Amino acid sequence: MRRLLVALVVLAGMTAATAYGERAQRGDLIVTLNGGFAPQKLPRDRPAPVSVRLEAALQSSDGTTLPRVTRVELGLPGQGLITTRGLPTCTARRLRDTTSARALEVCRSALIGSGRMSAQVKLPHQPAFAVHARLLAFNGRVRGHRAVFVHGTSGQPPATVVLPFLIHLRPGKFGTVLAADLSPTLGPWPRFARFEMDLFRRYGFRGQRLSYISASCPVSKRIGLGVFSFAKATFALADGRRISKGIARSCYVR
Amino acid sequence: MHRTIAIALLLAACLFAAATAPAAEAPTRDEYVERLEAICKPDALATQKAMKGARGDIRAERFAVAAGKFAAATAIFSGNVKEISAKPRPAADGERLRKWFTYLKRQEAYLGQVTEQLRQEHPTKALRLIQRFIHTGNLANNVVLAFGFNWCSFEFSRYG
Repeated sequence: MRRLLVALVVLAGMTAATAYGERAQRGDLIVTLNGGFAPQKLPRDRPAPVSVRLEAALQSSDGTTLPRVTRVELGLPGQGLITTRGLPTCTARRLRDTTSARALEVCRSALIGSGRMSAQVKLPHQPAFAVHARLLAFNGRVRGHRAVFVHGTSGQPPATVVLPFLIHLRPGKFGTVLAADLSPTLGPWPRFARFEMDLFRRYGFRGQRLSYISASCPVSKRIGLGVFSFAKATFALADGRRISKGIARSCYVR
Repeated sequence: MHRTIAIALLLAACLFAAATAPAAEAPTRDEYVERLEAICKPDALATQKAMKGARGDIRAERFAVAAGKFAAATAIFSGNVKEISAKPRPAADGERLRKWFTYLKRQEAYLGQVTEQLRQEHPTKALRLIQRFIHTGNLANNVVLAFGFNWCSFEFSRYG
């Protein structure tokens, strides 16, 4: 049996960020983004395995119900590398209507991360209430594109959602973009308030140890430190607004 | 008697008018944001243009080139802070804005120090100052979060 290990990594080295993350406000909507990677000490000339943690939140400044989110984009820098060669994939169909335990049972070999999410549920003639969900992330493909299937399950009320994030490679500071369109048929989920996700996976393929995410700290020999744009979260809302926040982090040469 | 009362009332009215005049000039928060954003937008775009490739220059050890870009950014930042700090402020936001300008002045100082360290070819010191510059920028943003600034808020991605 192949030895598979997915770990939630202790991200002790991420203290460069403020405790609550960086925030931006547009109108009555506040977006928060926090996160980092570990280890922060990386080789300058070749990618090494890293774990990436992202935490994003939306809140209204006056406590009103959050607007529905129609699209989420998470940008990561080009110096990070996503490798899926030889990594098993899962499909949305296999994950649909499954509990977390069942999702792991059928797709554990494709697991690349985990996290949590909170969302607001808005039912007619009722005040909005919060749901909390466990998230699992699986490697997958959608129409030939590399993708991440985010599987969310909440206990109360019992519900499951599968969101496909397509991985796009683009020029610019955020060369790797994970993007998901949130259909209105997802019900209460698109009014999400907060999520946190750790991505990390080491696996073996043809005698090689590979990592789902790798990164280097590409600075010259004289410099032991690099400062770079680490992540950017963009939310498109049903009312046509877009709100985004980018964060910077540092890497050190080992 | 009537004349004395009339003069007293007139004086009181003049004093009241004098006391309330500055408050009447003070903009609302929305007006203030609009005025500042109009100033910050061209400066932010100019910064973006001036700083293009600066971080790549540091990585490639083109320190003099990077120093020139940071010097240009410092000049834009200083001019911007000077201009926006001269604008009348909403009466209720005085303390908050005082704090914001304190952070902006600190950022301005860091930018100047980054330029100097790059000129002296001390890239690691320059990068440590950039870390402080970013941290202070995030603190500045938090102070005026409720203002909803776009161009006047700090975005590291505009710096190369």
